[in-house]
Amino acid sequence: MSADERIHEQTASRDPIRAYVRQLAAELDGCDVALRHDALIDAEVHLRSAVRAGATAERAIADYGAPAEIARAYRESTGAGPSLAAGASTPPLGAPPNAAAQRGFGSIPIIGVWAQPAAWGGLLYFGALGFVLAICYFTWAVTIGSLALGAMPLIIGLPLLLLLLASARGLSLFEGRVVELLLRVRMPRRTQPVAGLEGVGSGTRLGFWKRIGCWLRDVRSWMSLGYLLGNLPVSTFLFSVTITLVVLSAWLLAAPVFYALDMPISQAAPDDGFVLESLLGVESDGKIFLTGATVVPVFLMGLALMTGTLWLMRGLGFVYGRVVQAIQVARPQ
Amino acid sequence: MPSDLPNKIERDLSVGTAWLVVLATIAGADEPIHGYEIARRLADDAPEGLSFKQGTLYPMLRTMEADGLVRSTLVPSNEGPARKCFTLTADGKRVLAAWVATWRRTNRWVNTVLGEIDVR
Repeated sequence: MSADERIHEQTASRDPIRAYVRQLAAELDGCDVALRHDALIDAEVHLRSAVRAGATAERAIADYGAPAEIARAYRESTGAGPSLAAGASTPPLGAPPNAAAQRGFGSIPIIGVWAQPAAWGGLLYFGALGFVLAICYFTWAVTIGSLALGAMPLIIGLPLLLLLLASARGLSLFEGRVVELLLRVRMPRRTQPVAGLEGVGSGTRLGFWKRIGCWLRDVRSWMSLGYLLGNLPVSTFLFSVTITLVVLSAWLLAAPVFYALDMPISQAAPDDGFVLESLLGVESDGKIFLTGATVVPVFLMGLALMTGTLWLMRGLGFVYGRVVQAIQVARPQ
Repeated sequence: MPSDLPNKIERDLSVGTAWLVVLATIAGADEPIHGYEIARRLADDAPEGLSFKQGTLYPMLRTMEADGLVRSTLVPSNEGPARKCFTLTADGKRVLAAWVATWRRTNRWVNTVLGEIDVR
């Protein structure tokens, strides 16, 4: 047993609620990490509320239910609720938005990606919304961060830094909602308590400076802030890739329209040697027109490229969603 | 008779009724109500011999939220982590009203039938 594990064991033996949460965590092993995260926070908040209300920890735990039973309830909650299964208009609890992703990419025929909400959500996220949000996050973090650092010798510096960390956690949660909606990767519903503050109210009284210390020591505060800053270059790159692929695909997919309207598909100097354009059609005064023989292959190229782009969006969305999820469910050190 | 049958009957019966009483408890609250308070009120009102494990309330609330029956807000607490407080949505109120009507009809029917039998 490592030193860290020994410390955890000693803490758990002193705090039955902590021990219960650890047992529940073990029962939920293998579950979706966001679901597991929420279950643990639900349990801890509930049990500490019960203790604050005067119950003993043991009584509160007995009323809450055995870890195996509660874990089963959470696992089963990924199905529809009673009486609503037929009429539910929205995915039921837990009907994890990323259920399709969890089934694996291989189970979907290649062209089926056109019907995947996660792929179109990824397109919208990486091609527009994610980039805009990244600019907003970065601007906010740099502005408040600079003010906080500049004002650190003054009394207002620390409150600004705390505002920045609190807002980073809030924005990270908001980002999680956006990512869940568009990229279909399930995010936790509960905020992770600030490390060290989760036991407040169970008899522990922390002073003002110790509370601030908890905020500053909590790795999630800094991970969220790092996300706000580091997201911009990543989002800029993904935005560029997405827009390039979408525009190129749309251009190729529009080939029948160009052909039908007798419009040039492109314009190039006759001797610029651009191989692709010279393959596409017949040049006339620098304008490149499609011929009857090339319009179908060009359209099919567009179809293939757009299908590939949607797969890329889906894959990127899956990976990106996991990163945001990891930030949200990171356990305090 | 399978030895587990009475437990199974109780489990099956409690699933729907638990949803009903949870929705009704949220509807009856004057302001957004958090999970612990819902559990406390249900425990206070539960007849002797009938109990539910409070931890099962939270997955139920999550299902209700995903089904659009309740809406949650995080309310900061001075005593610990932020609490998730619940209110009924318009859909939730409609479902509850329909459910209450169904429950009352069913209750009358079951009582009528049970009133005429003599179980020895």
